[in-house]
Amino acid sequence: MSSTYLAAEGEGFVSPGPGTFVYPPLFGEGTFFTKPMLITVLGTIAIGLFFYLAARRAAMVPSKTQYIGESAYGFVRNSIALDAIGKQGLKYVPYLATTFFFLAVLNIAGIIPVLQFPATSRIALPLFLAVITCLIFNAIGIKKHGLFGYFKDLMFPPGIPWPVYILLAPIEFVSTIIIRPLTLTLRLTFNMFAGHLVLVLFILGGEYLVFEYGGVVGVAAGSVALFGSLVLTAFEGFVQLLQAYVFTLLSALYIGGALADEH
Amino acid sequence: MPPTSPDEESRDFRRKGEADAFGAFGLVISGVLVWGGVGFLLTEKFDNQVFVLGGLLLGMGAGLYLVWLRYGRQS
Repeated sequence: MSSTYLAAEGEGFVSPGPGTFVYPPLFGEGTFFTKPMLITVLGTIAIGLFFYLAARRAAMVPSKTQYIGESAYGFVRNSIALDAIGKQGLKYVPYLATTFFFLAVLNIAGIIPVLQFPATSRIALPLFLAVITCLIFNAIGIKKHGLFGYFKDLMFPPGIPWPVYILLAPIEFVSTIIIRPLTLTLRLTFNMFAGHLVLVLFILGGEYLVFEYGGVVGVAAGSVALFGSLVLTAFEGFVQLLQAYVFTLLSALYIGGALADEH
Repeated sequence: MPPTSPDEESRDFRRKGEADAFGAFGLVISGVLVWGGVGFLLTEKFDNQVFVLGGLLLGMGAGLYLVWLRYGRQS
């Protein structure tokens, strides 16, 4: 590890690592409230406040806030719930919309000045939401097809000789109950993790090159890196919204799959 | 919430392709995980590495077969 080596020498650039994601408690030793928690709380309050204001005086001729709120909710309703589940999906729009806006806001906190940390890069948040999604789509499937029918549809695809089921049934079970929430969690967490790390690296590295390394080469290369960090910030914003969308869309697809007559 | 239009009723499974893509990926991973895991446990028990190798290959094959079975067949 060259970076640790250089750091031990007392000079040179120390590249940011996973330690970037570990925050000390905000209110000193012995307390538990950290910056990612603060961002989660602020984000939740912001979403609640926004939709409260948007829905408070709902009118036929909408105010600007109401218009934005309705468009955002309509986006989840039309391009996620209806596209992925169909008409039955309208029942699940509240859950999907909550998931989408919660994730979108906590993701986008990664590029908001001062906050500058995507709370969803800590695995607990995506994991918790993925487990909720998993419980929901399995509950829906069991409710619709019955406990026996649901797992029969799930684990025993028709049209193959019965000894093969010994080989295939465990795979189907694991793929639905374990792999689905796991991939949901990992996809979101590490998109946010990697994106944040790249931004930190570009900004700290650019700063180091310009102010510490110095010289024509340092200033030129550092300027390129700092400019690159601006471009990457815009790109990160795109990725953050996209990942919130993907998480919600997949939740909807799983619900749609559980509702479908046969797999 | 407004009632759905006829257009919206015909929108079922516009995204079935995407669901299938992620489903297929999950099946192949699970196949390797389940039967590779069984092979690994047998290897630990009998101290013979042929089990983990066989388990991984069996799982991969079964996963791919399952992908074909679920998504590849013309129905």
